[in-house]
Formats: sequence, structure tokens, C-alpha cells
Amino acid sequence: MSVAQEIRTRLQAALTPIELEIIDQSDEHRGHAGWREGGETHFHMRLVSDVFTDLSRIERQRAVHKALGDLLEATVHALSMDLRAPGEV
Amino acid sequence: MNDQPSETPIFSVIEAALANDDVVLFMKGNPQYPQCGFSAAVVDVLNRMAVPYNTHDVLQSAELRDGIKAYSDWPTIPQLYVKGELVGGCDIVREMYESGELNTLFAEKGLVAEA
Repeated sequence: MSVAQEIRTRLQAALTPIELEIIDQSDEHRGHAGWREGGETHFHMRLVSDVFTDLSRIERQRAVHKALGDLLEATVHALSMDLRAPGEV
Repeated sequence: MNDQPSETPIFSVIEAALANDDVVLFMKGNPQYPQCGFSAAVVDVLNRMAVPYNTHDVLQSAELRDGIKAYSDWPTIPQLYVKGELVGGCDIVREMYESGELNTLFAEKGLVAEA
């Protein structure tokens, strides 16, 4: 399974997203720290979930960290995230 | 947060750093030469805010790099702290800057004049 698919699978299981978009930006970081041949090191994600309602920014991101677990430690060098509850612009 | 942070030596170092300055950024590199785009982005926001801050370069110490992740149970760097509390990393800092929340936070803490 690709890294992006693995991220998707774990997030879907933990956060039941209404919208989930994962973009591999590794090519934009070619040659930077953490980049490696084959990409799949730098990602951006946008996730909308009911779970985030009434959670602070820190709590939302902690929920993502928890869902991704060792993926963040070992595989993904950088993951920027846009985390919203339904209705938030 | 760890229940007994001071039991690990690096946690004492971190606590001292947080006690020393109101706005503390743990980053890769330094403000002049950030070694990571996310660290650079947070430095850029702090410079725009005209708030005094201090930085600590985690690339100078593997102990600090691992320690700061464990200290707040936050797996990524940069990490911005205001008055000892974790505000967040690059995404959160940038969102809070754009929405004006960061200015409100600094004002509430008496670090910048009211907007």
C-alpha cells in the first residue's frame, strides 16, 4: 500500500471524515531534508470531520497524530494539515 | 504533558527555557538560517508580529530534539510556546496569524499592545 493510501486508511478508520484530501507534495521538496527517491515523504491533507466539532486546534492535530501513529515517526517527513469541523470555512 | 517532567534531565532544560522567555520557539536552525520550511514560516510570523522571542535549535542536540517531542507529546518541530504553553506547530501558528487569533493571544498575555 502506498504511504498516501496508508494515511487515508488510518484517518478513515479513526476520524470518519466527511471530506479527505491528501496531496503528495514530495516533488516540491526534491533534494530537501527528509526527501528521498520515490517521493511519499511530504504531504498536505485537508480533512473535515464531525469529530473536530468543539475541539481546539491542538486537540484536532493530536487526534490526527494519534490516528497516524508510527507513520509520522518513521515514514512521513512532513505533513501539513487543514483540519475543519463541518461548516467551518 | 508528562506528570513528572522534572524527572528527566532534558525536561528540566526545557522548563528552564520556557521559564526564561515568554515566547519560545523550538526549531530547526536559527531565525537567520532556518533549516526547514516549517520553522522558517513560524519565524516569519513571529517577525511580523514584532513580539520578542527566543529560539532553540533542535539540530544542535538530539536529546533536545527527542525531549521536546516527548515533553508535550507532540511529534513534530517547530513548536511554539507562549508563557510555557504549547500553541502549536507551523499549521496552527499560520492559521492563528491569519485569523488574528495569534495577535489576540499575545495581547491577552501582555506581549503586544491591543490590536
